[in-house]
Amino acid sequence: MLEALEGSAAIARAVARCRPGVVAAYPITPQTHIVENISKLVADGKLQTELVSVESEFSAASVALGASAAGSRAYTASSSQGILLMTEVLFNISGMRLPVVLTCANRAIGAPINIWNDHSDSMAVRDCGWIQLHCADNQEAIDTSIQAFRIAEATELPVMVCMDGFILTHTLEPLEIPDQDVVDRYLPPFRFDRMLDPKNPLSLGTLVGPEYFSETRHLAHQALMAATSTIVDTDREWQTLTGRSAGGLLTVEGPENAKIGVLAMGSVVSTFREALDTLKTRKKAKLINLRAFRPLPDQALREACAGLSDLVVVDRALSPGFGGILGGEIKAALSGMAKMPRIHNVAIGLGGRDVPLEMWPRLLDVPTEDGGFRILDLEPAKLGEVP
Amino acid sequence: MTQANNDPRARQPRFRGLEAGHRACQGCGEALAARLVTESAGPDVILTNATGCLEVFTTPWPQSAWRVPWLHSLFENSAAIASGVEAALKAQGRRSKVIAMGGDGGTFDIGFQALSGMLERMHNVLYVCYDNEAYMNTGIQRSGSTPHAAMTTTSPPGKERMGKRHLKKDLLSIIAAHHIPYAASASVAYPQDLRRKVRRAMEIDGPTFLLVHSPCPLGWGHDGSETIQVARLAVQTGLFPLVELERGEVASVMPLRQKVPVTEYLKLQGRFRHLFVDSDHRAREEREHLQALADYNMERYGLFGDGDDPFDADGADTVRRGGPARA
Amino acid sequence: MPITMNRGAFAHAGSSLAFKTGTWRSAKPVHVHATAPCHGACPAGEDQQAWLALLQEGKPQKAWEQLVTTNPLPAITGRVCPHPCESACNRGHLDQPIAIHGIERWLGDEAIRNNWSYPRRGGEIRAERVAIVGAGPAGLSAAYHLTQRKYNVVLFDSLPEPGGLLRSAIPPTRLPRAVIDAEIGRLLRTGIEFRPRTALGRDVTLDELRSEFDAVFLGVGAGKSRHWDVDGAVPADLHEGLALLREWLAVGALPKPNAVVIHGGGNTAVDLARVMRRAGIRDVHVVTASGLPGPDTDADDVLNVVPRELEQAIEEGVQFHPHRTINRLIMRGSKVVGVEMVRLKKLPDGSGRKSRVSFEGTETVLHVDMVVPAIGEVVDATGLEYILRQRDFLSVDMFGRIGGQPGLFAGGDARDRLKAYPNGTVSAAIGDGRRAAEGIDALLSRRDPVEENRPPLPYASLNLSYYESSPRIDLPTLPLEQRNDSAEIEGGPNSAQAMAEAQRCFSCGNCLACDNCWTLCPDNAVLKTSEMAKDGSHYLFDYEYCKGCGLCAKECPCGFISMQAEE
Repeated sequence: MLEALEGSAAIARAVARCRPGVVAAYPITPQTHIVENISKLVADGKLQTELVSVESEFSAASVALGASAAGSRAYTASSSQGILLMTEVLFNISGMRLPVVLTCANRAIGAPINIWNDHSDSMAVRDCGWIQLHCADNQEAIDTSIQAFRIAEATELPVMVCMDGFILTHTLEPLEIPDQDVVDRYLPPFRFDRMLDPKNPLSLGTLVGPEYFSETRHLAHQALMAATSTIVDTDREWQTLTGRSAGGLLTVEGPENAKIGVLAMGSVVSTFREALDTLKTRKKAKLINLRAFRPLPDQALREACAGLSDLVVVDRALSPGFGGILGGEIKAALSGMAKMPRIHNVAIGLGGRDVPLEMWPRLLDVPTEDGGFRILDLEPAKLGEVP
Repeated sequence: MTQANNDPRARQPRFRGLEAGHRACQGCGEALAARLVTESAGPDVILTNATGCLEVFTTPWPQSAWRVPWLHSLFENSAAIASGVEAALKAQGRRSKVIAMGGDGGTFDIGFQALSGMLERMHNVLYVCYDNEAYMNTGIQRSGSTPHAAMTTTSPPGKERMGKRHLKKDLLSIIAAHHIPYAASASVAYPQDLRRKVRRAMEIDGPTFLLVHSPCPLGWGHDGSETIQVARLAVQTGLFPLVELERGEVASVMPLRQKVPVTEYLKLQGRFRHLFVDSDHRAREEREHLQALADYNMERYGLFGDGDDPFDADGADTVRRGGPARA
Repeated sequence: MPITMNRGAFAHAGSSLAFKTGTWRSAKPVHVHATAPCHGACPAGEDQQAWLALLQEGKPQKAWEQLVTTNPLPAITGRVCPHPCESACNRGHLDQPIAIHGIERWLGDEAIRNNWSYPRRGGEIRAERVAIVGAGPAGLSAAYHLTQRKYNVVLFDSLPEPGGLLRSAIPPTRLPRAVIDAEIGRLLRTGIEFRPRTALGRDVTLDELRSEFDAVFLGVGAGKSRHWDVDGAVPADLHEGLALLREWLAVGALPKPNAVVIHGGGNTAVDLARVMRRAGIRDVHVVTASGLPGPDTDADDVLNVVPRELEQAIEEGVQFHPHRTINRLIMRGSKVVGVEMVRLKKLPDGSGRKSRVSFEGTETVLHVDMVVPAIGEVVDATGLEYILRQRDFLSVDMFGRIGGQPGLFAGGDARDRLKAYPNGTVSAAIGDGRRAAEGIDALLSRRDPVEENRPPLPYASLNLSYYESSPRIDLPTLPLEQRNDSAEIEGGPNSAQAMAEAQRCFSCGNCLACDNCWTLCPDNAVLKTSEMAKDGSHYLFDYEYCKGCGLCAKECPCGFISMQAEE
């Protein structure tokens, strides 16, 4: 049944359905409403969980780490500066192969301080060994959040569910929260055979020297690569159960014979879906919604891009001194193709700059323009004197 | 690893929470403290450990010296991961006790925030800080716990400086301000007292804290065989008072009966060698300062008194040869 | 996660045991059962630490049984020994030495009270027979130890009753007769044949004994007073000190001069002086070349008397004149009316040997009507002429063997000085008898004699931090006005006091199971085990893991653990 819900509230309810044992809460805009809603659910007795209101994001991730190691399903949420503060712990959690789930309400990173949406935060930690899934809209966010626990527990890898801050978290729309019994069928209780238990004492988090470190990293990389099939399978199962797909590894929409492709992640995809449906454009283009950023699904990407002459990669973050992050990664992923499309990389909507419907046709012109990576919605006039 | 039934190691009348084969230096005070703490706490515990000497010398994969479940994450988050473990146990209805451990670096400095948060949230966790008064694992750098005038690699004495300029952070007062049910200082030189304090803390359902003075032969500049002697003098001179605090108030102290000048303690340690250079007037000044700090402790905690036996706050653990008859 | 995928994900509990840190060592801890200083100082060879330990465990009978494996007469020695063990006792560095003699006396008295028997020793009955001449402490001890080793012993004495000087020269105020009877009685009842009233030379010859018995031990004592004169003069009615004492003890007769001076500084002199004072003689003086204990007196120059005897003598009114000698008798006719004393000291001469040096100009006069020499005795040569060959004492080795005389042994006051074994006391005589029994047993078993030789305990290896201060017990003494001829002047401790005093023993050089080593090893390398420890301790070192840090050795209160360099 559809309800009008703010994105954050919906995520809170979705996570609650997953029966987390421990939730760590620390506020940061624009994620705060998630933890606030969870707190209200706990206070009203609608969610039985140990809610630990910690004193920093570092501790939030640490609480999740400890809880997971002790055998409880653990969850937390953060954004931007908080994600950076907990970076050490994120590496630790994946290195220890703990199935923690975290919602990243994507936000720009200071300085200068900016509380609005782009993908700088999750991009900055793309190497931390977590699975990273991006959500195009709030329903996908709900479904992905639930799937995240199953993926994590099956792969013994932590999952970061990325959803655009403000744009998704603070938007009210009609959403479906699956019933508890549906979720219970989908998500069995968490059983962790390495859990901290005096009856079977193990030491977790030991020191590994040069003798074994390479092998450890090999296994971590392999695990992430192998997670692509789990991501596909869990989405398929979900679809069977609810009738909805959350996007698998990626989706391709638009005219079959289009030679231009536009690849994007997150909420801009739903804007572009609307544009694809409602705007008449001279040029035809496919819309590729990349859901799984880590692991980066090379094979699926190559299949999706087969036959394209041009691919416009839309970045929501940039690496100063290099260019678009997603763009760089896509170039690397497609470089094995016999006929690789020409890749055009632009960044838009940094720091929350609005991405209107009109951005779609603008993007379709990019292949004909010269130039390497640039911020497409830059307003050069603003580079002069501020009035 | 299983042991044969006739192996005397398997039949020791105490719980071997920390096993042999760890790689601590000879005479390591921290290893001894950890052994004493885990044996008093018993097998039904879950330990968390900050990065540091203890963590490194006990768990070079695939070996571990711990016989209880143990979790290490980072330098600054022992208290935070312990909070998570405790919350999970609550969620699952399990009653094992969580003990968070860290060195002084991971407790006084980088882990301070996590500790404060854990205490404020009243998690049922015993936090044990093994205080060897510097960042030893990284090669003896000063921490907030390093005593005034001590030499470390980042507070070396020289023409302009006489060792660490700042005072040893009064962590117990800060812990006391959190109004937790029980906090205490202890020393490896008084093992029975330490064991008693561990058991006391274990019984309490709520946040508790132990600060255990643990000499580091390498870092303090003394022989591995002198660890207990040095620790004992720290207590007897008043520089490291053994106290118990309940809800922030001093509930008991280990009384001293004789005045032992701080020089007796300082002269045994290479890290205070620069305080014994007669030709340097600053050396005398620093010795006097340290004596004044010890006197201040004695006054503040009322260490001189007709209290119980000065060798142990509560009953003998080692030898009693003489003294008033006991029941 | 499958085990095969575990790389760094977790480690198994206790898997560190695979890493043998014992290879790090450059020195290893070992248990060394050292000789406690009391044991090292005891002339009889008692291991006081061993029996004090049993008393600490609350086992007085076991403690007594341990004691009598060395010294069969503790109720006696506890009363009369000058207790060098107490002077050596390490407890003196902390507060006061253990009152070992008091506890020993208590154990001896308890054994008498409760009729305890000597512990039985195993072993084959021996066919050989040994003759022991002299039923004083040396002979009694030899007889006891040989009987314990299952030899046939016949004990001879010229007197009607056994005991030697114990009975004939030590007043009952110091050593009650009942105690002598009880202890010697128990000893003789172990199967020793006693032949009293049999004197060497007069009733039996040495050669007869040597042919009839497989070995002979001479414990004949020093029965002949040294010759004494002052510049060649002696009073007409000269009474020698030991003879006076003996006569008084035997029949109660004592001359009663108005004032007497006793020349000599040993137990005989002091015992006689006190007897005479108690008998009512107004002025009793003791003139001796030795000094009284004090800061000006060298250790080897002190009066050779048990210190508390000296205190009591002074209390009783005996007047001492130390560092003096009698250099002139003042006579009226043939009667003494006074003596002239001069100060002297024993000083080293050019060759380093000490000799007496008088200080001219320091002469004083004592008005006395009797002079009693008590300057010591030598062996009465009767029956021993060809062995003694005109020397004062018999020359022996530490096992009592007389050089050139196989099968002939001697000990006690009859033997010459041995540097490592000072004699002249009851305890020394007992020690001589014990070692001679070993010598005899070795001879008859055709082996070399052995004496236990554990290393001494260095004081520095004790750790006094673990011992609390506590005063020594006070032993009761009869108040002055109650002292008489027969009542024992010194009392012993009661059982509570004896047990409490035993608790003060540090247990030097021997494990007291305090658990320090076990508690303080950072590496779990000390194991507590009663079955597997072979060295009498309760602990094993786990050398596979011991890193040799030395904490155990340092914190062992009693110095039982030493660090030995690793090869």
